[in-house]
Amino acid sequence: MKNADLLQGLAPGEIERVLALGQRTLLTTGAELFHLGDDASCIYLVARGRIRLTLPMQVRGKQENVLVEERSSGQTVGWSALIAPYQFTLTATAALETEVLALDREALHAYFAAHPASGYTVSMNLACVIGQRLQVFQAMWLREIQRMVELRCA
Amino acid sequence: MEMLLMGAVLSIFGLAVTCLAFGAATRQEPSEEKEALRVAASNAHFFSDAPAARILPLAARPRVPIEALLLQIENHVRLEQAAAECFMESPNPALLHSRTISTLVN
Repeated sequence: MKNADLLQGLAPGEIERVLALGQRTLLTTGAELFHLGDDASCIYLVARGRIRLTLPMQVRGKQENVLVEERSSGQTVGWSALIAPYQFTLTATAALETEVLALDREALHAYFAAHPASGYTVSMNLACVIGQRLQVFQAMWLREIQRMVELRCA
Repeated sequence: MEMLLMGAVLSIFGLAVTCLAFGAATRQEPSEEKEALRVAASNAHFFSDAPAARILPLAARPRVPIEALLLQIENHVRLEQAAAECFMESPNPALLHSRTISTLVN
């Protein structure tokens, strides 16, 4: 947890204090952490295990949750809790027995108000997490468009 | 004589079951699925609001079990994500448009 992407660059003492704000939750295989459209009040750090992030897709007329990405130990899920309008845009389930640390938005805001330097560092880390996802999906999207263009021109 | 007749009846019954199984295995696709395949093959529009079958012909293939199809989709997503991450490590057009081995699109 001390190597969590969200906490990079914080001093060890600060990491301990931020982690102390959280609540550990154990998920059994297949258990849902949050659901698409839910109000997002907590951001989660994956302590161990793996979280599947899915979106619904129509497959042969039936709605199926299709994998969008996976997050594992040290990675962050549920950043919608820190970004308005605070609603989850994916569904998260445990791919196997998984432990996460739930960090409540209000508790984080209060801590960062008192420790702005930590708040800045974590905000920059959060921007990296979001930015990386944006870049990955941008590239994935362009690859799909390229295939569509090739199909059309074939 | 009775044994012979019994044998003959059982043989005919076995033949009938075999014919039914063969017929089921080689039955033509339902017309709806054929139509989806035809449309997918002939009429894929860029940015169209057409049904997903037009851009995902595999989804319209009638004999791929849905569990296998979902696994193919999942595998495709993982491969695409890995390709995108490779591109991010060293951004260039060749890596962006590297070929995939995904069975969903090949």
